[in-house]
Order: sequence, then structure tokens, then C-alpha cells
Amino acid sequence: MRRLLYLLREALANVLTNRTTTMVAVATTAFTFACVGVFLLLYVNLRAMALSLEQDIQVIVYLQDDVTGQATAEIEQQLKVDPAIASSAFVSKEQALADFQVQFPTESHLLQGLGQNPLPASFVVTLAAESRSSERMQRWADRAQLIPGVGQVQYNQAWVEALAGIVKYIEVAAIIVGVILSVASVTIIANTIRLALYARREEIEILSLIGASTTFIRVPYLLEGAALGLLGSALSLVILKGGFELFRHEIRSASRFLGVDALLTFFPFEMCLLLMLVGLFLGCAGSFLSLLRFGEGRA
Amino acid sequence: MIQLFHVSKYYDRRLALSDITLEIEKGEFILLMGPSGAGKSTLLKLLIGAERPEEGQIFVQGRSLSKLRASEIPLLRRKVGVVLQDFRLLPKKTIFDNVSLPLLVQGASNGDIRRKVTEGLRAVGLDHKKDLFPPGLSTGEQQRICIARAIVNGPIVLLADEPTGNLDPELTSEIIELFKSINARGTTVIVATHDPNVLGQVNRRVITLDHGKVVSHEQVGS
Repeated sequence: MRRLLYLLREALANVLTNRTTTMVAVATTAFTFACVGVFLLLYVNLRAMALSLEQDIQVIVYLQDDVTGQATAEIEQQLKVDPAIASSAFVSKEQALADFQVQFPTESHLLQGLGQNPLPASFVVTLAAESRSSERMQRWADRAQLIPGVGQVQYNQAWVEALAGIVKYIEVAAIIVGVILSVASVTIIANTIRLALYARREEIEILSLIGASTTFIRVPYLLEGAALGLLGSALSLVILKGGFELFRHEIRSASRFLGVDALLTFFPFEMCLLLMLVGLFLGCAGSFLSLLRFGEGRA
Repeated sequence: MIQLFHVSKYYDRRLALSDITLEIEKGEFILLMGPSGAGKSTLLKLLIGAERPEEGQIFVQGRSLSKLRASEIPLLRRKVGVVLQDFRLLPKKTIFDNVSLPLLVQGASNGDIRRKVTEGLRAVGLDHKKDLFPPGLSTGEQQRICIARAIVNGPIVLLADEPTGNLDPELTSEIIELFKSINARGTTVIVATHDPNVLGQVNRRVITLDHGKVVSHEQVGS
């Protein structure tokens, strides 16, 4: 117990002895973590939007004009038993025309000159959740195209693919930026710990001389590094949350983004916890690096 | 208890110790004499595993130091008390905390720490100063605190490297008396010094080193 108290006291003494260096290290670490956090926030929100769009996307299976009532019933049956489909609704030619007239009242006269209804009957299909990825949707559309009586299969492929592409790019960018800035954070913390080690090198030599184990000597510095990482990541979350709320407020004020602010979300609590743990781990890694460099013989 | 067989040590090809063969029995009081650079400190460093010899073997309590793993060196050092010329006390810790360090690193209980630190400080006559800080003590007192720290965990051997180097003759006598009383309780004491005043005060075994070699080996008194 006394040993544990001693180690904690030493870690605190390290922090207090190098107060300015510690504050600079925490602030710099917070800034670097916040930079990674911006990418992560972008990724989390765009991914959520992509998922939400995927939920809304429907596939329209247009039927050929000459398809018989029996063939339509067979297609309907085939769609019903397909496990990739969550639901499907039949839209007759008449219904399609009525919908068109409701949606585009000013353009409805265009169809009047044609004499007969040019709009095809269709099935509006909502795919099951596991089949909504861009690749699976494409595969299902290709398969549906081969059903006898089906004229054309359409969905907002371009939208889905573009969004999936953006999310992927952001994911890669977040990983690259994350790795670079994590290395920077580790280096900053490592340098802070190195200063603490040099400031207390005589004490380390004394401890080594009286039979302190390497672990006993290293623990206060590892704790200090962990505390720096934890504080840095916690501060970065505060900065991010402030920035996020400011951004949301701006979006809300701009009327053309009406409703978008409701879609924006901050990191969930579990993710905040995870980010703080990552900070703690990187802090430990920085300390460990410094202790290794300081020399096995001394530390 | 301590045996050295044909031990040689070099620093960057410069010979520090050459072909040293020695045997030190339990409870002996050894004076390692010789001028600066004779190899006294190097010999002490070898005994605590701070340096490794290039040639020869060193045994402490039958255990070969060259076969010790890095993780076993702290265990060796817990059996060996070390007193240095520059005291090496932590200025921001109280006398009590300084002396308790060897017990703390071993994981001794609070009760044990209190009891043994009080005993150690009493042995050097400074138990009334346990709450002070090292800078508030005289050099003689600081050296006595250093000795208390070295003996607090009951080491089998006490190594002192120029322990009187910073002290006047009167304080030197005090410190040597302290070593004698520690030795009288059964602890092997090895004092490395180039101070001829010490020689006159100790009637024990004297080993003289020069240029890394044992040049004389004599028993003084009983």
C-alpha cells in the first residue's frame, strides 16, 4: 500500500515539478487528438448519413408494357419469396399516371397528347437491410433484370456509390491522419517524460543503487505518460464538442440546410471513452519509449 | 562470502583492474587503500553488479555475478548497502523517507518500515532529525543518514566508497567508529579510501591497489 502510494506520489511530483512542460504537452496532445477527432467526426456523420440513405433507397422494377396479368402475379410471387427483399408494392400503370400528375401537376399536360398512358407498371422494392450495400444492390438489380416480363430495374445507384466512395476516402484519410498524429502525440509525450527523467536522473540512480526493480523505477513515469495522454484526449473531446455545437448552430441558422443539423451527431459515450483510452495508451507508449531510450542500465 | 578470481576490467581498452584474486570472509572489515584511479571504485562497482568484468569470476554468497540476469541485480543490491562520498540523498524528501527507500522498494510493511528506520536512525544517532530535509543537515550528519540508509534493511555487506572524502578529521573518526560498530554486529564492511587518516584508526585487513593491481595485502592489528 505504502509502495503504491509512493509510486502515485512520485508520478504526481513529476507532473508538478515540470508544470509548464506538462501543460504544453497536454495542450499539444489535445490539439493533435482534436485534429484526428475532426476526421473521425466527419467519418461518423457521413457514415450515418450513408446508412440512412441506404435505408431509404428503393429499387423500382418496371414491367414491360405487354406483360399479362398472370405474368405480373408470377413476378409478385417471385419477389415475395426472395429473402433479399424486405417489402414490395405493386404500382399499376394507372397508379403511376396518377402519382405523376400529383407530383408534377404543371407537366401533366405533356402526357395528355400521347393518347395512351406511356408510364409502365412497376414494383417498388425495399431490399432487406443486409442487401442494401452498393455491391449487393447492383447484384440484385442484375438478377431482377433477368426475370421474364421485367423491362428495367432502376435505383439511385450513382448516389449510393458516390456516398460509399466518399465514406471510404474519409475512412482512409482518418486512418492516415490518425496514424501520423498519433506518432506526433507519442513523440510529444515521450519528450516530456524524457525531460522528467533527466530532471530526476540522480534519484533514478539512487533507486537503482538501493535495489529498486526496473518496474518500480519506471511505473511513476508510465503513470505520468498515461495521465498526459488521458488529459490530452479528454481536453480534445471538450474542444471537439465545443466546435461541433458551434458548427451545428451555424448550420441551423442557415435556412438552406434545413433539417441537416438534426442528422449531425457527436461521438457516443462509448466512443468518447474509447478515445480517452487510446490517449492513455499512447501516453504510456510515449513514456515507455523514453524509458527505453534513457537506458536499460539506469532505468 | 565474496570471492574474486583473476578479475580484470577495462574501460575503452584502458586497464582499470588487472587479475585481481581476493577472498573476503563474512564479518570482515576491509580497507581498500590506494590513490585516485587505483581501481577501488571499480572494484566496488563490480561487487554491486554496476559493472561486469571482462575477465575472471566474482562470487557473492556462492552466486556467480556474471551469471546474474539483469532482473536479479536489484536482488543482489538489496543485500549490499552502499555509502558514497557525495551522500546521494534526495533533497526534497525527509530524512525518514530517504532512509526508508530501501525498505520501500522491497515492499516492506508500514510497521516494519517505521521500526527499522527508527532503529537505523538511532544507530547513527540522528533519530531526532527524521522529519528534517537533507539540506538542513551538516555534511557529517548527511553522511550518517547515508549510512543509516545503507544498513536499514540489514545488508550482508556494507560498501563505502570514499565515505570520508568530504569530511574533516573529527567527522572522519565519527564515521569510522560507526562502521566499526556496524561491523561488530556481524556485517562485512569494505571501505575504499585514499585517506591515510582512516588507516590509523582501523586495525583490520588492508588491501592496497595501484594501477588496477593489488600491490599489498596485510593484516593490521587483531
